[in-house]
Amino acid sequence: MKERVFITLTNGFKDKLYRLAKRLLVSNEEAEDATQEVLLKLWRNKTKIAEYKNVEAFAMTMTKNYCYDKLKAKEAGNLKIVHSNYKDERPSLQREVEARDSLDWVGKIMDGLPEQQRMIVQLRDIEQYNNAEIAEMLEMNETAVRVALSRGRKTIRQELLKKHNYGVV
Amino acid sequence: MELSNIEKLLEKYFEGETTLSEEKELKVYFTGESVPAHLEKYKDLFQFFSNESQVTTTSEVALSTNRVPWYTWIGVAASIALIVGLFIKDVPPGVDPEGVYGTYDDPEIALQKTKEALDLVAKLMNEGKKDLVYLNEFDTAKKELVYLNEFENAKNKLIK
Repeated sequence: MKERVFITLTNGFKDKLYRLAKRLLVSNEEAEDATQEVLLKLWRNKTKIAEYKNVEAFAMTMTKNYCYDKLKAKEAGNLKIVHSNYKDERPSLQREVEARDSLDWVGKIMDGLPEQQRMIVQLRDIEQYNNAEIAEMLEMNETAVRVALSRGRKTIRQELLKKHNYGVV
Repeated sequence: MELSNIEKLLEKYFEGETTLSEEKELKVYFTGESVPAHLEKYKDLFQFFSNESQVTTTSEVALSTNRVPWYTWIGVAASIALIVGLFIKDVPPGVDPEGVYGTYDDPEIALQKTKEALDLVAKLMNEGKKDLVYLNEFDTAKKELVYLNEFENAKNKLIK
């Protein structure tokens, strides 16, 4: 496969990889790195691309796995640094200030979801994949996807209602 | 779309039972203008979803990390030329593209020319041989070493 063919092929879903990575890793730079890394890995295995039924779904799975690894590494790293004694109330205040914009607030709620629900809401409501595709990407079964989707959406609703009732803007 | 319909769809949405096209309807409705006050809170949600799908990555994919710049090939070509030049130094025999060494069809002339050539070689060889005369000096010098025998004789006498 030629480089140009590969680039046109991956350009179709490159942004989706990036958005998924950003949803999981939050930081822009890390998401860029993840996208690069996944595409490079895909490029190195380009001879096998024809064997994959669905390159896009495969790339999504790779991105998910990459991000999981990153998050795991981060958690392990954080354990050494974070000290509970030094915790203060500032983060929550900062969060409120940052979330002045109500759309940001939705983003904050979404980033507060468990990773799996976050990914499913991302893939379904933002990327508009159907449940079967999501099940393939996340290596789950369809029912589990539907359940997690519903849970994620309900949590978001709950948080939205809270914000609405308390008028925290 | 009717309000009751939207509310029903929303309920289905939170149960995770809407289809993609129904979700699209919801998205269109909530990003529109006429959203009643009690559903206002969901506006942000669907607005957020449609905004997020516009986010794009800025970086280009750098695939060709192992690409060699074109000028390195000049070095490769030069070294190949050098190696070939070192090992193939004489033209293979029988190759005489321009007939520089000449050839004769008539055997008589050929014989004559060959003799001439051999004469030339012989003459040059004799000339070279003249210098070898000095080798005779070596012979004469060797003869003088005969006196060493005298020494030997004298030694023999002493032993007796």
